[in-house]
Amino acid sequence: MKFLKLLIVFAGGLIFLTSCNLEKEIDLKLPEYEGQLIVECYLEPGKPFNLLLTESTGFFEPFSTDVDQFLNQILVNDAQSVEIEHGGQTYTLQQGIFFDFETKKLYNYQNPELVPADYDQDFKLRITTAKGKTITAQTRILPVVPIDSVVVKWNDSDTLAFVLTYLTDDPAQDDYYRRMIHQSSLDSTALQDFATSDRLVENGVLLFGTAPDFAVGDTIINTIFHIDRAYYEFFGSVQNAIIAGTSPFGSPGKLIGNVEGDAGAVGIFTGLSYDRVVTIIQK
Amino acid sequence: MNLLRKAIFLGSLFLLAIPGFSQQKFTISGKVTDAENGETLIAATVYAPLQSEGANTNEYGFYSLTLPGGDSVRLEFSYVGFQNVVRTVFLDKNITLDVEMGSGIQLQEVVVKANSYREQIQSTEMSVENISMREVKAVPVLLGESDIIKTIQLKPGIPSGAEGTTGLYVRGGGSDQNLIVLDEALVYNANHLFGFFSTFNSDAVKDVKLYKGGFPAQYGGRLSSVIDVKLKEGNNKEFAGQGGLGLIASRLTLEGPIQKGKSSFIVSGRRTYFDLITAQINKANAGKDNYNPIPDYYFYDLNAKLNFELGPKDKLFLSGYFGRDVFGFDGGFFNFDFYWGNATGTARWNHQFGPKLFSNTTFTFSDYKYNIANKISDFSFELGSNIQDANLKTDFYFAPTNKHTVRFGGSATYHQFTVGRLKAGSKDGVVAFEAGQDFDGLEMGVYVSDEWEPSERLALNAGLRLSGFQNGDAFYTGLEPRLAGVYNVTPLFSVKASYARMYQYLHLVSNSGVSLPTDVWYPSTGHVKPQRSDQVAAGVSFAVGDWFMVTNEYYYKWLDNQLDFIDGAELFANSDLEGEFAIGKGYAYGLEVQLEKTTGRLTGWIGYTLARIRRGEFQPLRSDAVFGEGDAYFSPRYDRTHDISVVAMYEISRRWQVSATWVYGSGDLYWLPPGRFSFQDVPGAQFQALVPVYENRNNYRLIPYHRLDLGVTCRFFPKWGESDLTINVINAYDRRNAFFIYLEPEFQEVNTGGSTIQIPQRIAARQVSLFPILPSITYNFKF
Repeated sequence: MKFLKLLIVFAGGLIFLTSCNLEKEIDLKLPEYEGQLIVECYLEPGKPFNLLLTESTGFFEPFSTDVDQFLNQILVNDAQSVEIEHGGQTYTLQQGIFFDFETKKLYNYQNPELVPADYDQDFKLRITTAKGKTITAQTRILPVVPIDSVVVKWNDSDTLAFVLTYLTDDPAQDDYYRRMIHQSSLDSTALQDFATSDRLVENGVLLFGTAPDFAVGDTIINTIFHIDRAYYEFFGSVQNAIIAGTSPFGSPGKLIGNVEGDAGAVGIFTGLSYDRVVTIIQK
Repeated sequence: MNLLRKAIFLGSLFLLAIPGFSQQKFTISGKVTDAENGETLIAATVYAPLQSEGANTNEYGFYSLTLPGGDSVRLEFSYVGFQNVVRTVFLDKNITLDVEMGSGIQLQEVVVKANSYREQIQSTEMSVENISMREVKAVPVLLGESDIIKTIQLKPGIPSGAEGTTGLYVRGGGSDQNLIVLDEALVYNANHLFGFFSTFNSDAVKDVKLYKGGFPAQYGGRLSSVIDVKLKEGNNKEFAGQGGLGLIASRLTLEGPIQKGKSSFIVSGRRTYFDLITAQINKANAGKDNYNPIPDYYFYDLNAKLNFELGPKDKLFLSGYFGRDVFGFDGGFFNFDFYWGNATGTARWNHQFGPKLFSNTTFTFSDYKYNIANKISDFSFELGSNIQDANLKTDFYFAPTNKHTVRFGGSATYHQFTVGRLKAGSKDGVVAFEAGQDFDGLEMGVYVSDEWEPSERLALNAGLRLSGFQNGDAFYTGLEPRLAGVYNVTPLFSVKASYARMYQYLHLVSNSGVSLPTDVWYPSTGHVKPQRSDQVAAGVSFAVGDWFMVTNEYYYKWLDNQLDFIDGAELFANSDLEGEFAIGKGYAYGLEVQLEKTTGRLTGWIGYTLARIRRGEFQPLRSDAVFGEGDAYFSPRYDRTHDISVVAMYEISRRWQVSATWVYGSGDLYWLPPGRFSFQDVPGAQFQALVPVYENRNNYRLIPYHRLDLGVTCRFFPKWGESDLTINVINAYDRRNAFFIYLEPEFQEVNTGGSTIQIPQRIAARQVSLFPILPSITYNFKF
């Protein structure tokens, strides 16, 4: 036992030593960077055609301290034209600042006509930049995959609940999903937010669970987006980039988007289909 | 079949080059052993000065020397650190002469000085490092745990991976391109604790040899290095033991005769006690609010070997290794068990057919697996991978004359792979997830080589290996020529050159900078072709005065069918893993210089490496996948331009020994984002004001790495044996080396349209170091 105590003292000493000032801020000189255009366009049936066109910048470029300056820094408002073609009709998006008070999202190009709920025909995007370069992309809106059920279960001590969300997956096709779960409000940071494919699903039932974190009266908002492969890869590459910047175990990589053209832009043009279930935790 | 015919034809040529025996000559053969414990001595020299003929013992301690008969012959046996033994025999027939050598007291007058370098200088072997257990035990190491792999990392041309870990990147090769064999059985993952410690217990190890190039034909299956670890056979004279108590682990080795002089055993074990410490901490904090118990973690190794002399010409060895890392957590609602490790077994039969022909036949079994199991309420999850090998090989050592040493043999390995097997689901079976792949593979190899001395100054080692691999319908063969030569300008100055082609049929799927137990081995398939390397090396070796030897080598290596991963690769539980692969090429070149001193009170070496590594032309196997770099060449993370190591061990007296190592290396390359953008995302998701944009790989070099480690050993000589207290200080001048960098934005919350968004104000780049100055103490004993 004496030896064990000695070891614990030593281990404590080691922990003390290893916790000493092992982290410091350093100056990094990164390679020169030329900004890229970034496109985000999510087509949600029944909502206006909205598009956000921004530009990336050098990693250590100074930040603006107020919102307007910050937006001016990132928004690209001088595109010659932004058009979405669908079913023989062309929707021209006008430049402006459009804020959706419901979703708290901001766009700088919009056409107020509503996106048709057409799951059979492609939507085609064409942007001509101020320099006459083009950005193109195409997508098709996927049908909603409904949530079958949300089940509340209690842990052994019966004080905290966890939530199970079930949905039925079509085994005949490759599907991709994004799962979000919020507590109380969609404005809060999601408790879970990740994308997954159905490649591991064996018998057509997909299940998402949570930790036992909920008490009676808590409001839980479950959202399942049915996403296409392009968005799955884009979202994954964005998540990887964020993680790799902060963790040694991350896997850095380039952004994988579905926009093309000679403008050298990157981004995502995709449909937005989701089912959402709100549950109030009860015994 | 054409390749097979070529191999047989070339093999025949070597044998035809061997002249016939003279009738007047007789052969002296036998084995050379350590008088103290009966261990065979590898590469001991047998020399007949009057005839100017000599031979070396092979890796099993066997030698064969053919001399003119009809007279008395004086034979000198020498081995570094041992007293020379002289025998005179009358040679009128083939005779067997087994010799025991005593280590005695290693005084300067007794040990062989410059002559000890003669063998190394004149040998056709180049790009080889012999690692002595004395060095391994003297070099100061992390937490006092002697480590073979970390001693190897101090040799030129072998940059390590992440700080403190046991990754080996030999001459531009990847960490998966090292053939690590323990008593001839393959070890797939030679790491404990995510690479911070190796699986080899240095108390049980007899000999370690590392090949960086000029690979002999008997080795195959990996591109960049061979690390051949041989376990001790066990003391066949008397019962003995040794062990140690360290900060994190204790170890014990027992050995002794089963039948004195005929058979012996050795068993060795090591276990860490992190879990005992963390259990005490958990106990002290039990019941406290918000206290999260520390998971249990420990690792252990067990080695055992039996050694039987069946008769004057036959010897049988049985050895085994079993090691596990165990990580567990029991949190009531959430349980987690994770273990990984190797098991190997070897049955080896040495047979001496006659004075000139010796064989070694081995059956080995090797198994590496990891398994993760957890349970959350009614749901369970189990993930694991496994590779199992059964190998049969036979090697012949034939010395028809003193000018030729022929080796030939063959091997067959049956591999079974379980790759990323996942099973998860609910107890009632409503929910089920499954993934994983199973493969079988057969790997084969036949080889022949001849070490030939056409003249006193020139020696050649020419070999040819024919390898093959079958996995389902995919069948590959590879012809692997090997050639090495030495020209002795003077007895103590030689010029050497070598060429070796290697094939590697197994690939490690690992997408992280550190060694993880969840890295899986994947076989060559119809789409995943075997990796190939061609390496040329040239250099000089010479003695400087009586005490020093200088080795200077230059190498160039071409690498084909190298494995990397597409952008956004999903390597976890993927049933179509090769869809995530990209296949490309690479090359590496460099120079290595080493000044070493192996005898006297002060021993050690100074090594310098100047190197460059590039990889490129990667193409994804899946047509719709993207490899971000396209065709462009880039430097991998471990492309270390300059690498210096200084190792010094000084024997102050019989009681006191001090040691020091200093290493310096160009910083590792790091992939940092030169740009950023803001990502609004879909409704319900948070605005991400700062998403890094990554462009070219490995675009930033970390600060140079340097570190001084010190060690002091005080020996005691109690009646029952010997003991010592070793104090190591790692990072003695407290250098803050970069382990990794992370980028930390500082945000300001801004209200906009009724909700708040976070706008970054600045980004801080932070460098994290792993080790401050870190002392440790170890008590070792021997009886």
